[in-house]
Amino acid sequence: MTGLRRDERRLAWLLVLPAVLCIVLVALFPLAWTVWESLHLHDLRMPWLGRPFVGLENYAELAADRRFWGALLHTALFAAVTVPAELLLGLVLALGMNRAFRGRGVLRAALLVPWAIPTVVAALLWRFMFESQAGIVNALLVDAGVLERPIVWLVQARTAWVPVMLADIWKTTPFVALLLLAGLQNIDPRLYEAAAMDGAGAWRRLWHVTLPLLRPAILVALIFRTLDAVRLFDLVYVLTGGGPGTSTEPVALYTFNTLLQNLRFGYGAALSVVVFALTFALALLYIRLLGRDVLGRDA
Amino acid sequence: MIASALRVLPWLLLPPLLTACARGEDAHGVRLTIAASAVGAEGALLERQVARFMRQHPDVRVRVQRTPDDATQRHQLFVQWLNARTGDPDVLQLDVVWTAEFAAAGWILPLHRFGPPTAEFFPAAVVANTWAGELHALPWFVDVGMLYWRTDLLPRAPASMRELLDVAERAGAAASPRYGIVWQGARYEGLVTVFNEYLGATGGRMLTDDGRAAVQEPASVRALALMREQLARGAAPMEVLTWHEEETRFAFQNGDALLMRNWPYAYALLADAAASPVAGRVAVAPMPAADGGAPTATLGGAALAVNRYGEHPDAAYALAAYLTAPEQMLERAAVAGYFPARPALFTEPRLARVLAVPVDQAYAVVLRARPRPVTPVWSQLSELLQIQLHRALAGQVSPEVALRTAAEQMDAAMARTGVRELMVRAGRP
Repeated sequence: MTGLRRDERRLAWLLVLPAVLCIVLVALFPLAWTVWESLHLHDLRMPWLGRPFVGLENYAELAADRRFWGALLHTALFAAVTVPAELLLGLVLALGMNRAFRGRGVLRAALLVPWAIPTVVAALLWRFMFESQAGIVNALLVDAGVLERPIVWLVQARTAWVPVMLADIWKTTPFVALLLLAGLQNIDPRLYEAAAMDGAGAWRRLWHVTLPLLRPAILVALIFRTLDAVRLFDLVYVLTGGGPGTSTEPVALYTFNTLLQNLRFGYGAALSVVVFALTFALALLYIRLLGRDVLGRDA
Repeated sequence: MIASALRVLPWLLLPPLLTACARGEDAHGVRLTIAASAVGAEGALLERQVARFMRQHPDVRVRVQRTPDDATQRHQLFVQWLNARTGDPDVLQLDVVWTAEFAAAGWILPLHRFGPPTAEFFPAAVVANTWAGELHALPWFVDVGMLYWRTDLLPRAPASMRELLDVAERAGAAASPRYGIVWQGARYEGLVTVFNEYLGATGGRMLTDDGRAAVQEPASVRALALMREQLARGAAPMEVLTWHEEETRFAFQNGDALLMRNWPYAYALLADAAASPVAGRVAVAPMPAADGGAPTATLGGAALAVNRYGEHPDAAYALAAYLTAPEQMLERAAVAGYFPARPALFTEPRLARVLAVPVDQAYAVVLRARPRPVTPVWSQLSELLQIQLHRALAGQVSPEVALRTAAEQMDAAMARTGVRELMVRAGRP
């Protein structure tokens, strides 16, 4: 009996071994390597400096690096604006699509178009619309009397964020809407009937039936969108290049510049570790706050 | 599954083994690799020239290795290879601002031992490719920033920065053309090349010879103030702060700009009557000077260097020397439109026949060529500078504050990386 159990245990280990090896190889090993690298002074372009172990020096430099703190702030600002906007708009769209009407299938497919466009292409589209004083956005706003004269959106710190955020909201709201729609369709219609029978109006039904039952879907959307927002890179890369100055530079773009343009591997690794720690902490936080539902429902 | 994986394993190992055999000397003699940007007509030309070289040297086989056309990507690739000390590629195409970096890192051979024809190249190109008193790469072609102007709208090219500002401001205020002057103002290397020309115009500089920042000096601040004034007075549109080379060319080619600062490549495109509304109405001149300086053209272009870890430095140098010889340079000018790096060729009648830009105009600009600072940490310094230039031009801070900040950061970077000592040592004969 015990012999059999040992055999079985060994078999079990053997069966999970490939998966474990895979995770170690593609996730844990690079991560550990990056942490190790971040403790070194390593600049590919300056071999005369060698690759000495410098302890936490890179992190100390990071703490005093104003460009890094600025980048962090920009990332947080971007996430704080776009994620709630996408969630709200996505919810409205999902509620609309959840009703039965003719052409619903076509509409759903059409809604996905922005999501299907590669981000770089989408960014270029938005860039063309906002780029010049003769661009379509300026023309529309001037015609409508919103602006007195055309402005150069991408050259001022505040206005440069507008196309970046709009492009992100435009592109990912459909994704959120579809996620939420899937959640809505899981809700038993009899609950609405019962609530209506008890005299609950549309508003109360939304507040007390729909939203609580939609929580798992909202959580999933929230996690996806927040983590994506923290990793913001391509939109800014194409639209503003992080400018003017570094006014729209997010952490991921700064990391990219440090690692791949300046080839400062040690410092870049320290940056990467910080970004990883941040995203990881955010994911943990979300799961703790809202995750019981998701895990609980499945169990 | 494991068994099948084991069966596959040898095949996975095979390619590296094969390439290992293919390298170095074998039955065919010496094998070389040259890594260069090799797109389109330029690539075909390089293949042709390499084939001719092999006919002259039957014992040498040369392979052209295509590398990304984007300079940043090529730089990254080269640095990674050389960090791993690979001897392949043997000959490297270096952008003019990389030579000091690669030389200081010890990745490329100093060329003195091969007796290079240093005096035959443009002095500015020699300066840019010299480190520690020795030429480290053979100039292949030169790029220069120049002022394109509309011959139908102006009687002559602006003779001073003041005149340039005036005519551009007037054009900017008029309905047509829409813009006065357009230049590359996005936050990238191009912005620094433009700034370098204004620095020359006012007598400013970026670095001292002993590796200290000099962008905070009054003459340098005046250069940035000049650029800012163009934007503030509408002589240049604010849009240029997001523009690279091609956006400026589109504006100028569509007839929307009176003046444009750009590289020579634009000339042939602007002269093409089928695609360009301004064909036949364009000329080039050096960027003019302001008080205290001289007309200046930022030097770009490429040079060929010999990999220190290569197995056949003599053959590699021979290849580089062949490709940078007068005949091949002329051919390159004809096919790709690049300016030769040898002044003697500008009096050669054949160049006048093949070059899109009128040779006298081209020569007038090339004579004003001025390299960017020759330092191993150029791209880091340039990035720090780009950010501050861009902030000042966008109106976030004054030119004084921007350049003082840039100077502090550049000094800190040079101190931190030990580059200042290297530069001082390299400057000594």
